[in-house]
Amino acid sequence: MLGYDSIEELRAALTQQRYLVDDGLGTVVFLALKLRRPLLLEGEPGVGKTELAKALAACSGAPLIRLQCYEGIDVHSALYDWDYPRQLLQLRAGGTTELYSSEFLLRRPLMEALAQPGAVLLIDELDRADDEFEAFLLEFLSEFQVTIPEVGVYKAETPPIVIITSNRTRDLHEALKRRCLYHWIEHPDLQRELAIVSARLPHIGQNLASQVCSFVQDLRWLDLYRSPGVGETLDWIEGFHALGRQSLDAQTADRTLGVLLKERDDLERIRSQGLEGLIARSQQPQQPKQPQPGWQGGVG
Amino acid sequence: MLSPTADRPTDELIVHTAVQFARALRLYGLSTSIDSEHVFLRALTEIDMRDAGAMYWAGHAAFVKSPDQIETYQVVFDRLWRGYPLVPGVRGSEHGESDARMGGGAHHGGEALPQFGGKGTEKVALDGDRTRAHADLPNADGEDATSNQKDGILVAWSAAEDLTETQAMKYQQDELSALRLLAEEIKRASPERNSRRQHASACGHRFDVRRTLRGSMATDGEAFRLSYTGPRPVPRRMLFICDVSGSMERYSRVLLASLKVAVGASRKAEAFVFATGLTRLTKSLDGRDFERALEKARATIPDWSGGTRIGGALAEFNRTYARRGFSRGAIVLVVSDGWDRGDPDILAGEVRRLQLQARRLIWINPRPMEVDKQPLAIGMRAAMPFIDEFVPGHDPRAIAGMAKLIGGLNTARPMRRSVPVAAPSA
Repeated sequence: MLGYDSIEELRAALTQQRYLVDDGLGTVVFLALKLRRPLLLEGEPGVGKTELAKALAACSGAPLIRLQCYEGIDVHSALYDWDYPRQLLQLRAGGTTELYSSEFLLRRPLMEALAQPGAVLLIDELDRADDEFEAFLLEFLSEFQVTIPEVGVYKAETPPIVIITSNRTRDLHEALKRRCLYHWIEHPDLQRELAIVSARLPHIGQNLASQVCSFVQDLRWLDLYRSPGVGETLDWIEGFHALGRQSLDAQTADRTLGVLLKERDDLERIRSQGLEGLIARSQQPQQPKQPQPGWQGGVG
Repeated sequence: MLSPTADRPTDELIVHTAVQFARALRLYGLSTSIDSEHVFLRALTEIDMRDAGAMYWAGHAAFVKSPDQIETYQVVFDRLWRGYPLVPGVRGSEHGESDARMGGGAHHGGEALPQFGGKGTEKVALDGDRTRAHADLPNADGEDATSNQKDGILVAWSAAEDLTETQAMKYQQDELSALRLLAEEIKRASPERNSRRQHASACGHRFDVRRTLRGSMATDGEAFRLSYTGPRPVPRRMLFICDVSGSMERYSRVLLASLKVAVGASRKAEAFVFATGLTRLTKSLDGRDFERALEKARATIPDWSGGTRIGGALAEFNRTYARRGFSRGAIVLVVSDGWDRGDPDILAGEVRRLQLQARRLIWINPRPMEVDKQPLAIGMRAAMPFIDEFVPGHDPRAIAGMAKLIGGLNTARPMRRSVPVAAPSA
C-alpha cells in the first residue's frame, strides 16, 4: 500500500519513476491516496494521464490493472463473466457443484482490482464508454464493492488506487465526477518539459532537448488543431537522435514533422510559415508566455 | 498567509469557511455539493493550511469539475485567501467592506481564514445575492436586465431595435402549437445508429452463450433453443448550429424556440448559435419552463444580432467541440444565410473540416438561391462544395416547414468526392 506522509515524499517517489509532477498534480495525487478517492484526470492527449497510473504502480510495486474503455464495454468484459464451457460440461456431466458459484466465475479487471490489495486500477478513456457503463461504475467507485446477483457482494479489503482518465470526447456524468477528485493536466511549461525530457531520455544531449522543447512550446501558442503533447515531443527528440542529429535543423525538422504534428492543415500551416524562421525565433531567449496554473499570489 | 506562529483556527471556523467558500463557488456556477465540501474538509486535515498552494489545490481537487471552471475557482479562491468577502458588491461597495476589515488591524494577504470566518453578516449577504441572481435572469418585460447584457461589443448597435427584439420574444399560440409539432417530428425522425452494445435479438448474428446456457437449464443441460444478440440502436447525435447575427435577425426568435424544442425532443441533440463568436446553448435551453429557458438562453448569447464571422465561429467549434467528438458521426444542421464578414477561405476550410467529422452536413439557408439575380453570399459560395445537402429559400420562421424538413431528412452517409482545397494561409 502506498503511504506517503507528505506531498514532497510522494513527488520524490514519482520522480524516481521518471514521472515529474507539479504542485497541483502532486497535491491531488497525495489527497487521492489519503482520502482513498478515485482520481479523475482530464487533459489534452499526450500530457501523461495514463503514465501517472503506471508510475504510481511502479512506485509501490503493486500490480497495475488496466481497463481500456470502448463503446459497448459491459459488465462481462469489465467486471466478471461466467465460464460457460465449463458450466456446460458440468451440467452435462451431472455434477453437483453449484453452477453459479465462484468456481465458475471469471474475474475481469475491476474484480481483479478488488481482489488484489493495494492494486492500482487504471480506467482509461472512460469517455469512450457509454452512459450505461458509467452508471454501472458508480457503486464500484464509491463503495469499492460490486454486486453479482447470483453470488452476492464483493468488497475490497484494501480499496485499490483508482485513476480514471478522460479525453473529454463527451462530458462525464455529474454523479461520477462527484465521487472523484478532479484534475486537469495542462501542457508543461518549458522548464518542466525539459526536465521531463532529461528524465525520460537521459541519453539525449542537452542542446537538442532544449532546442526542441522551446520550438514545441512555441508551437503550442499557434492555436493548431492538434497541439503536440509531451509524448510527441519525446518521440520527435528520439527521431532526431535516431537520425544522428545533435541539434534542431530546419531540413530534418521538415522531414520528420509528421512525428510531431498529425493534422494535414497544421503541417501545411507550419510549412507555409517557414520552419527555418519559426525555429530561429524559438531559439531566442524569451519570457515564459504561458500563465502557469495555480495560485499566483502576487496579484493586486 | 497565516504567520507560522499563529494558532490553528478552530474547527468550527474552518467548517464555516469551507461551507461559505463552497456556497460562493456555487453562486458563480460551479456545481458544489455537500459531498465536495466534505472532501475539501477532509483534504484540509491532510495538508498544511498555511500553504496557499496546497490549499488552492485541495479546493481545486474537491470543487472543480471541468477545465472551464478553473478560472472562476481561481478568482473565488483569491478572494478567500485574501480575506475579502467572497461575493463582491452585495452590501455596499467592495472597498467599503475591505476597508472595514482592514480597520480590524489586518492587511492584504493577512490571516485570511479567521477574518473571513468572523464575519457574521456573510451568510445573509450570500443569501441576499442568491435572490438577486434570480432577479438578474431577464424576462420578457425586463429591459433593464437585458440591457445589462448589451454591454461591450453591442453598445454600438441600435438600442431601439434591441428593445423591440426583447419584447418580441413572446410567442403566439399558433407558434407554440407548431413548435410542439416540430418536437413530435424530431422525436419521430430521430436518426439512429447501431451502438457497439449488444442486446438479445432474434435476428442478431452473435451467439449468446450466457442466455443459451440459462435456457438449457430448463431442459437438463440440452440447449434446444439458441439465443443471439444484435447491436442495439441508439439515437444519433444531432447538432444544430444556428446563425443569430444581424442579417438573420428576422429568424432568430423562432430559431431559438426551435432549438429549445429540438434539445428537449432528442437526448442526443446539441444546440449552438453564433454571430461573432460561438455559444453553446444545450445546457441553458434545458428545463421545463419554456419561456424561462428561452430567456436564460437568450441572456447567455453575448453577440445576439451582432456581426457575422461564420468562419471564425465554425473554427471555434472545430477546435473546442469537434475535437471532443461532438460532431463525429453526427447529423449537423447549419442554419445561416452565409453572409460572412470573414475570409471566405477560412470559412471553406472550416466547413470542410466539419463535414469530414459529420455523418451528414445540411445547410439551411433562408435566402432563396439567386433571387432577383443576386448571387449567393460569398461565404455561402465558398462553403458550397463541402455541404452534403443544401436547402435554399427555406424560411426558418415557418416552423411547420422546418418540421417537415427534419422529418424528411436523409440521414444516410452521403457520397462525397474529394474537393481540392487551398492550404489554409497562416
